[in-house]
Amino acid sequence: MNLCTIPTAVEDPEGDQRWMSIHNRFLSETREKDADVIFIGDSIIQALQHTDVWNEWFAPLHCLNFGIHKDQVQNVLWRIQNGELDHVNPKVIVLHVGTNNHSNTPEEIVNGLTEIISIINEKHNNTYVVVPTLLPRGQYPNPIRERLIQVNDLIKKQISQMPKVEVVIIDNGFVQPDGTISHHDMYDYLLLTNAGCRKAFEPVYDMLLQLLNEDEPDRELTPTK
Amino acid sequence: MDALEAFKKEADMPGEVERKFGGLLEKKWTSVIRLQKKVMELESKLNEAEKEYIEGAPTRGKRCPTEWIPRPPEKFSLTGHRAPVTRVIFHPLFSIMVSASEDATIKVWDFETGEYERTLKGHTDSIQDIAFDSSGKVLVSCSADMSIKLWDFQQSYECVRTMLGHDHNVSSVSFMPAGDFVISCSRDKTIKMWEVSTGYCVKTFTGHREWVRMVRASPDGSLLASCSNDQTVRIWLVSNKECRGELRAHEHVVECLAWAPEAASSAINEAAGVDNRKGAHMGPFLASGSRDKTIRIWDVSAGVCLILLTGHDNWVRGVVFHPGGKFLVSASDDKTLRVWDLRNKRCMKTLEAHKHFCTSLDFHKSHPYVISGSVDQTVKVWECR
Repeated sequence: MNLCTIPTAVEDPEGDQRWMSIHNRFLSETREKDADVIFIGDSIIQALQHTDVWNEWFAPLHCLNFGIHKDQVQNVLWRIQNGELDHVNPKVIVLHVGTNNHSNTPEEIVNGLTEIISIINEKHNNTYVVVPTLLPRGQYPNPIRERLIQVNDLIKKQISQMPKVEVVIIDNGFVQPDGTISHHDMYDYLLLTNAGCRKAFEPVYDMLLQLLNEDEPDRELTPTK
Repeated sequence: MDALEAFKKEADMPGEVERKFGGLLEKKWTSVIRLQKKVMELESKLNEAEKEYIEGAPTRGKRCPTEWIPRPPEKFSLTGHRAPVTRVIFHPLFSIMVSASEDATIKVWDFETGEYERTLKGHTDSIQDIAFDSSGKVLVSCSADMSIKLWDFQQSYECVRTMLGHDHNVSSVSFMPAGDFVISCSRDKTIKMWEVSTGYCVKTFTGHREWVRMVRASPDGSLLASCSNDQTVRIWLVSNKECRGELRAHEHVVECLAWAPEAASSAINEAAGVDNRKGAHMGPFLASGSRDKTIRIWDVSAGVCLILLTGHDNWVRGVVFHPGGKFLVSASDDKTLRVWDLRNKRCMKTLEAHKHFCTSLDFHKSHPYVISGSVDQTVKVWECR
């Protein structure tokens, strides 16, 4: 049984129901705002909105951020099946999730991602899905990093074949020659600093610009008067 | 030890010196940096002001109501809202302005002194639009909570009526010129007209195929103009709810509208290339701003677009005519306000107004002020010269 493909709401062991509150806030944002781009996923996505890069690159593109800390694939699956993509009409959806699925095999994680993408396709058949590769984590080499490398290999092999999906490789350049990850890139060896963000998300930004400007006529390149 | 105690007594130093002065040096050090930053900010403001002065902007004494335009730096940058500001408007008579925000509150400010006056609470979700009647005695507001509220602006500043009927986010609201009816539009694709005295919905205008963004009544009250995510502007006859025209040319969602004042007719005609009195466009004229980054000015009776203004680098979110009729001012998600010279169809001034999207602006009908609101949660007051 692959738990990644079964939509699951996060259990609430602490009893403060924060997860459900965040989900409900996202639902109200879908009713009010008319975003061209929706970022959905885990803590990497959530942390992105507090960086300079977000304000400088992504906010001007009219984005919504539906990232929740510690979310796993099946949680995102539950959220999109429960309204987070229902009253919106984005041109692009950026999906980053899977880094927290510690009890799943790489195949299960990728099957989960495939499931999410096919549901997005069902709801919005004209919307592009941008899938950045999963980022390495931990200061020193560790089994989770190994598994994420395998996930990324599968993403490049399987997911990049799907229609209307663009895989963007963002995990290069973080593991240094001695195998460590610097706190200048990831301050807690998981989440990105401003500098790390710039490095990781520049290719995503370029891809978004390409996809968003697809329909626009080329501007004439004559110098202005 | 005795010597130490005696010395302390002599120096008038009570016991806990360490605790009192610990960290003082560090504080001084950081305050120096803070002051330095402040100095740099002020210097850049001064530079802006000097540039304006050297570029030949008229002085306060010589300014003229038909020519004055907003100039940097801003006179006030007002903080207080806890979420993006969605709309800013002037009171028609008093020196106050009102701002609406996604934090579900409405705030009242004095634009001459920059003082905060009060907050109106009652909506439970983002407020999308606000408007005064011509006397300024009643304010109307609409919200994502699907309600429209009327607020008493004479004494109590309280919500006197809540009107429900839209099935979705209410995106815009406005008074009819006579003040007896309110018009509203919504993501439910309809436009509704409400009687102020009873609160009943008396008319529903249907036809838009998507979310209706803004609705505004013509100055004589006979027509409504609305714009929508379906990329059209529609003109409606108030008397029989008939859609009298569909203005198509924008290539994206049309965000905002403004009816031109009488004074703008000659500049618009000149821009449209009509030289003699005979063939002049009679109007009424309407300006629209869109996510396609352009502003268009239409002759509503002929149903044609006369002027296209390009220059903004992102969605156009607000347009307002200069009371003198020669200019139009716009607000955009490219974080700027722009002043457009209608006669020559060109952008004559760009103000780097906010740190984030500019969502709204208003031009005072008689005083030399422009106000703007932004996603950066500030409201700014710009003096005109």
